[in-house]
Amino acid sequence: MNFVLKKVGLLLLTLWAAITLNFLLPRLMPGSPADAAIAKLAQSGPVSASVQAAIKAQLGVPTGNIWEQYVSYLGNLAHFDFGVSFTFFPQSVSSLISAALPWTIVLVGVVTIVSFVCGTLLGVLAAWKRGTWLDTLPTVGGAFVSGFPYFWTALLLLFFLGYVAGLFPRSGAYGATVTPNFSIEFFGDALYHSILPALTILITSLGGWVLGMRNNMINTLGEDYVTFAEANGLKPKTVALRYAARNALLPNLTAFGLALGAVVGGSLLVERVFNYPGLGYLLYNAVTNQDYPLMQALFLMITVSVLLANFIVDILYGALDPRTRR
Amino acid sequence: MHPGRRTSLTALAVLSVAAVLATSACSMSVKGGSAPAANGSMLVGADNGSPTFEKNFNPYAPNKRVGTTYMYEPLEVINSLDGKETPFLATGHTAPDAKTVVFDIRTGVKWSDGKPFSASDVAFTFQLLKDHKELDLKGVWQRVDSVAVDGQKVTFTLKTDDVPAARVIEQTLIVPEHVWKSVKDPVKETNAKPVVTGPYVLGSFSPNQYTLAKNKNYWQADKVAADKLVLPAANTQLDVVNNGYDWAYSFMTEVDKTWVGANKQHNSYWFPPGGNVSLYPNLTKAPFNDVNFRQGLSWALDRSKIANNAEQGYVDAAGQSGLLLPNQKAALNTALPDGGAIAQNTQKALDFFAKAGFTKKGDTLVDASGKQLSFSITTANGYTDWLQGVKTVQGQLKAIGIDVKINQPQPAAYNQALQSGNYDLAMGSFGGTGSIYDDFNNLLNSQFAAPVGTPTTSNFERFSDPKVDQILAALKATSDPAEQKKLGDQLQTVVYDQVPAIAMFYGGLWGLFSDKQFTGWPSEKNPYASPMTWDSNPLLILTHLTKAGA
Repeated sequence: MNFVLKKVGLLLLTLWAAITLNFLLPRLMPGSPADAAIAKLAQSGPVSASVQAAIKAQLGVPTGNIWEQYVSYLGNLAHFDFGVSFTFFPQSVSSLISAALPWTIVLVGVVTIVSFVCGTLLGVLAAWKRGTWLDTLPTVGGAFVSGFPYFWTALLLLFFLGYVAGLFPRSGAYGATVTPNFSIEFFGDALYHSILPALTILITSLGGWVLGMRNNMINTLGEDYVTFAEANGLKPKTVALRYAARNALLPNLTAFGLALGAVVGGSLLVERVFNYPGLGYLLYNAVTNQDYPLMQALFLMITVSVLLANFIVDILYGALDPRTRR
Repeated sequence: MHPGRRTSLTALAVLSVAAVLATSACSMSVKGGSAPAANGSMLVGADNGSPTFEKNFNPYAPNKRVGTTYMYEPLEVINSLDGKETPFLATGHTAPDAKTVVFDIRTGVKWSDGKPFSASDVAFTFQLLKDHKELDLKGVWQRVDSVAVDGQKVTFTLKTDDVPAARVIEQTLIVPEHVWKSVKDPVKETNAKPVVTGPYVLGSFSPNQYTLAKNKNYWQADKVAADKLVLPAANTQLDVVNNGYDWAYSFMTEVDKTWVGANKQHNSYWFPPGGNVSLYPNLTKAPFNDVNFRQGLSWALDRSKIANNAEQGYVDAAGQSGLLLPNQKAALNTALPDGGAIAQNTQKALDFFAKAGFTKKGDTLVDASGKQLSFSITTANGYTDWLQGVKTVQGQLKAIGIDVKINQPQPAAYNQALQSGNYDLAMGSFGGTGSIYDDFNNLLNSQFAAPVGTPTTSNFERFSDPKVDQILAALKATSDPAEQKKLGDQLQTVVYDQVPAIAMFYGGLWGLFSDKQFTGWPSEKNPYASPMTWDSNPLLILTHLTKAGA
């Protein structure tokens, strides 16, 4: 119980630090949201004085000194009130996030899980059959592919599968004329549009899981209890899965927890390349437009989910591995 | 151990490989890409989602959907290229004196819901902007004192003698009183069902695409050729080239190969100048406050090379007249040498630098104490074309012995630096409003020359000269064309002689057109409108096109 309490205390402390940093960081950036909006307009031509004044009036650039802003920020946070976005005025931050969240959770979340499961199994297989093609193919292939930068893979897929072969849509989360609803057609369309971004994330993340699992597995296979199990005449498959893999999984599980926490941050580059309306793209918009309210809410979500994922992994670890409880 | 939970390793491996492939395998047979627009409808690349569309058709919101201005009409539309006015909801205007403007409001116009449009809608609109200054994007009430309606005439009394004010007033989009009087908060209104007077009404809306349908009640419906406009949220270069767009506004790499190459028979482009992309010298700092130094910089640059490198040869080098040529050719001061054009002349540049106290020592240009001349150029991060231009400038100035550093803050920080005067030389753009007075007023009026550290909205270089202010005031007050020309000539001479900004090349307006379905697009030969897809300019184009072959 003491262990859990300690962890909860630590969680609360980091949470407060994160919330405060989250308040300060956007304000340390040079320029104001109005500056960002004006600079954006200025790209298509000079911006007149009156337009600039109107933009400043509409955005209602933050008022009060930094302490007053901090106190009202904490108060609003307690009510989950993140305010109105500057970039998408007059939309509220909560409505923007709830529109983007499902796309990211489904796309990045599902792909992360699929990638973890496939990668781990391939890693187990590679370690078990080491030296054979079942080892070299995923290991070398994984090391090779996981070195690809996200955006580069995305652009390659976009060009070859989306443009040259014309197999998949090149942008968006659903067709141009489709309005999101709960019909089969819409889900089919959304699935079709998610293939290229999903493939990009899968290709670039799979290798890491394979390599991680294979290395853990090889260490575990050298342990005495594995030799002992083999000596006792257990079937090779039983030894591999129920003795070695189970123990080798622990470190990978930590990484998986963190990866799940990071899902909320979206996959900025992939979403940008494919015009995917998820949280990563929203974050990109928020940062480039100096949209304090939106940025704060997104950073907060990302920090909190990573912290929570960490916390859950910590607690799970305590349950799975009694040594960590000490 | 438990037989039921035993799993075959090989089967698992096969399963996981299958899962990897499953994501890519499920619809191999379907062809991708969004469907091209159906016949009779026009595919327009004008509005970019981020990445999808927020539904906002409030005509006074800065982040409104671009199509809003295809639906609402102003009193008159200005061609920003040459400043010519075309009457829309007004039939014209008169100025009994320099302090009064009277607009004659068009009769027989109906709103798209069938209710009649009248002068009281105009008065209501201006009152709305007065009550909510956040909506006053054009700054009408900075110049107007009062508005009065008399039958079909709306009279604006101005705060001072202000002839150019009419051009600001007439651009205001007019909204229906019977709809907007019950809008609770016009600043936050997103206007989901626009009631309009213009050629188009809102058709369908989805986050990835919306359509505008021809307005059956439109007062000049016979001039509108396209029955439907389709505006997708994604208009990448790849989309524009491949999806059969009729009209798009987009910088296009290798335009002859890509856009024209996609359909040699029908596709064309026109990139007229939309602004003077310039270096603003910080006039509050030495040596930039020395006119000889600025002349030296100006003569040291090979503007054609800079223009070519920055914009792939799509635009011309700018001269020092402050005008956009050939659009504003009629206003050009013919007394300026070479029509204001400056061809690189290193000897002349060195002479001017010598007058400013910088002399050549070996390969470097040094000040009196023998230190090499060194300064920075500030440009916004991510404006790749400007950066190419700045890099070329850097190379050309290095050749003459000057050390140039490039400063690339994020756009917001760049804007802040520009506005508060924290730079040596900064990239910026001026002109292109369609009004000679506004172009020069924004560049030169000392009222904008706030002290360094205090943000200003124009005249970022902080030029201040009482004589120039007098010329501007005189230009503002006169309605005599001969007098206007004379004063305009004087302002051009100021820009040429005093170099408040070093104009380098024209910022292009990237118009891509296809005459497959519709003909009559604006072009160099017929510049009746700019290729801009935003503001009221599209009204000029959409009421000018005809169906191909008709």
